[in-house]
Amino acid sequence: MSDYVLELKGITKIFPGVKALNNVQFQLKKGEVHALMGENGAGKSTFIKVITGVHKAEEGEMFLEGRKVDFRGPRDAQAAGIAAVYQHPTSYPDLSVAENIFMGHEIIKNGIIQWKQMNEAATELLSELNADFQATDEMGGLSVAQQQMVEIAKALSTHARIIILDEPTAALTKNESEELYRIVDKLREDGVSIIFISHRFEDMYRLATRVTVFRDSQYIGSYDVDKITNADLIKAMVGREIKDLFPKPEVKIGAEMLRVEGFSRLGYFKNVSFAVHAGEIIGLTGLVGAGRTEVVESICGITKPDEGKVYLEGRPVQIRKPADAMKQGIILLPEDRQKEGLILSWGLGRNVTLPTMGKYAKNGFNDEKKEREISKQLLEEVDTKAVTIFDPASSLSGGNQQKVVVAKALGQEMKVVIMDEPTKGVDVGAKAEIYQIMGNLAMQGYAIILISSEMPEILGMSDRVIIMCNGRVTGELSRSEATQEGILELAMEKSK
Amino acid sequence: MAGKSGRTIANVPEKSLKKTVLCWEGMLVILFIVINLFCGGISPSYQFANVLREMPKYLTEMFLLFPMAFILILGEIDISVGASVCLAATFTCMASNQGLPFGAVILVCLLTGVACGFINGLILTRFQELPPMIVTLGTQIVFRGIAEIALGSGGSVSLSNADGFRKIAGKAGIVPYILFVVILMAVLYSVVLAKTTFGRSVYAIGSNRMAAYYSGIPVQKIRLIIYTVTGFMAGLAALFLTSVLYGANTTTGNGFEMDAIAMAVFGGISTSGGKGRLFGGILSGFTIICLRIGLGQINMNPQLILIILGILLISAVLIPNISAKLKLKKKAA
Repeated sequence: MSDYVLELKGITKIFPGVKALNNVQFQLKKGEVHALMGENGAGKSTFIKVITGVHKAEEGEMFLEGRKVDFRGPRDAQAAGIAAVYQHPTSYPDLSVAENIFMGHEIIKNGIIQWKQMNEAATELLSELNADFQATDEMGGLSVAQQQMVEIAKALSTHARIIILDEPTAALTKNESEELYRIVDKLREDGVSIIFISHRFEDMYRLATRVTVFRDSQYIGSYDVDKITNADLIKAMVGREIKDLFPKPEVKIGAEMLRVEGFSRLGYFKNVSFAVHAGEIIGLTGLVGAGRTEVVESICGITKPDEGKVYLEGRPVQIRKPADAMKQGIILLPEDRQKEGLILSWGLGRNVTLPTMGKYAKNGFNDEKKEREISKQLLEEVDTKAVTIFDPASSLSGGNQQKVVVAKALGQEMKVVIMDEPTKGVDVGAKAEIYQIMGNLAMQGYAIILISSEMPEILGMSDRVIIMCNGRVTGELSRSEATQEGILELAMEKSK
Repeated sequence: MAGKSGRTIANVPEKSLKKTVLCWEGMLVILFIVINLFCGGISPSYQFANVLREMPKYLTEMFLLFPMAFILILGEIDISVGASVCLAATFTCMASNQGLPFGAVILVCLLTGVACGFINGLILTRFQELPPMIVTLGTQIVFRGIAEIALGSGGSVSLSNADGFRKIAGKAGIVPYILFVVILMAVLYSVVLAKTTFGRSVYAIGSNRMAAYYSGIPVQKIRLIIYTVTGFMAGLAALFLTSVLYGANTTTGNGFEMDAIAMAVFGGISTSGGKGRLFGGILSGFTIICLRIGLGQINMNPQLILIILGILLISAVLIPNISAKLKLKKKAA
């Protein structure tokens, strides 16, 4: 009997033109939580799909509890007790929770679905997970966290012995993540082995006992979580040493650029006031739902505040729509790159000059030549990994898409740059590059508002941290005062 | 702060003759020629002068094609234009019959159109959550309703004095005036769409409205302008239509909106927004007109012509899909 519940050796997977996996190996012990880490494009997802039988590897062997197995499709993997829960659950939103759980293996007697039995079984699974919703609820009405719980229940309903979680916390709030941790702990106690993919170091430290790193389609190594340092792990993932993940430059803080006074919007935030100065980076943080994004959306005229004033360089300004904000020199780089930041079907160049084309145009006619020059220059400035400015934005990785979004802000004479979760879903190498750009912007005298849920990012980049909770500002800490505990305390003040 | 990797990104557009010919517009040019040769083959009277003489009554719909292309590229639709044409034509005839000077009659015609378009635009920009299909379906019914009330029990009105309109329907040599106006509008709209910040904004809104809005594009202003201009063009179409028909009735402008949409889609403009060029729409417009004239000359049953046009339209939508699938297969192999 092997020590490992799952073992893969020498796996190579070739897609037309690329080796997605090159001779990788992996061992999973029974009842362990094993983190799988690596940059975007390192081959993690492909590897998961090999395990679940979605892809067939060209070379290599897979052993399940010591026996060699050869999956011909996802059904074989499911029958062998392997289940995967993806970041964006592939559910049927109009069906009930129970129907989703038993999709594909309904409880059937004489060709008739046994609703009562199925709902009972689903309820039992949900109560095991401490779910706060019913088996008869409609799937589409649930939060992402709840939908993931359904996916986990689904995995349990197939008696899965190995569960793979693909970036499960990416879309969750802090509290929801805690809930997920609890479920993972419980599964482990029940003897389920878990493979866990995440970009968040926090997840890994909290849950995993071992971690395996992939890089450039290759296996780099497996480590015990309590024996590896953060720096070593980053080095393993990126292939080079990132000496300083947060290259915060010392910048002399200048005059006040933006001041918000008594900002209120019913149901979202109340009496919010703060200021940001030239060369300053302020971190705006709080739990998801604290009203951070809503405040900056109102500053930029996307939603209308009920009360409050915005001052730019001491003058009161009227902002009714994003176009007004930009005229004044305030730009918001939205959280959702794909929906709000970029036109994915367009080339990078046109994306970059979209906010500024009017500036280069002559009598309303676009100056395409000048736009091409400017966009090339800006895209190179943020070091975008692209071949030409005509590459569609959809062809880039998340980190590079974010750089294009930043380049949009660089093309104009902006005074205030607001970045909403600029490194969400971005791998660690690209993160460091985005921080670098942010630091450079501050040095050039931009006033920067950084909205983020990631504590290290807030602590590492901000001159000042403003903490919100339930729509109110609950505290403000200087760079030297700010600690993880201090911020959390203020962020949870009223939610207790 | 130069990129630390020193990576350079190319910014010179690639040009290739093959691509220019093989694009959808290139295909349409070929199709236009083929259709003309075909019509010339089946009908001995399909000659330049004859085609030009028959053209005016079909050309009125081209006025609606231009703004419709803008609306489709926005990712929206306006199905009230046919009704706007009907209402404008009705008011025009009535104004003319009241004995107003011809200049004032033209003004009534264009202003009626502008008012119809502005109402659509106003509703759609004030209540942004409403779908344009439903709003313009509603206004279509309202505009036609008003026209029918104005037309009274007879359901039609004839011009008592058509002098002014005869001038509009005139010709320079063998070329009808309306063709000049259509060509002028075609150039104007094509240039605005392809070369100006306004045109680029339209594509941006149609491709990703939120991203365009966050980038400072005045989305609602642009929508209001486009719907209002659409109304103006409906007025212009009504003016020329009246000069051909010397009157208006309850069926005036029936189906114009669908013909305009069909021309645009056949020309490669996607109904889901952000894609297509006006040049394609214009080519397909003329191709359809020529085919209609040719088939009309051999006295083909008009219903049969409609069936042929319908089949052509569906093939036009299908072909790019099929070729995209073939390309994918080729890549996978």
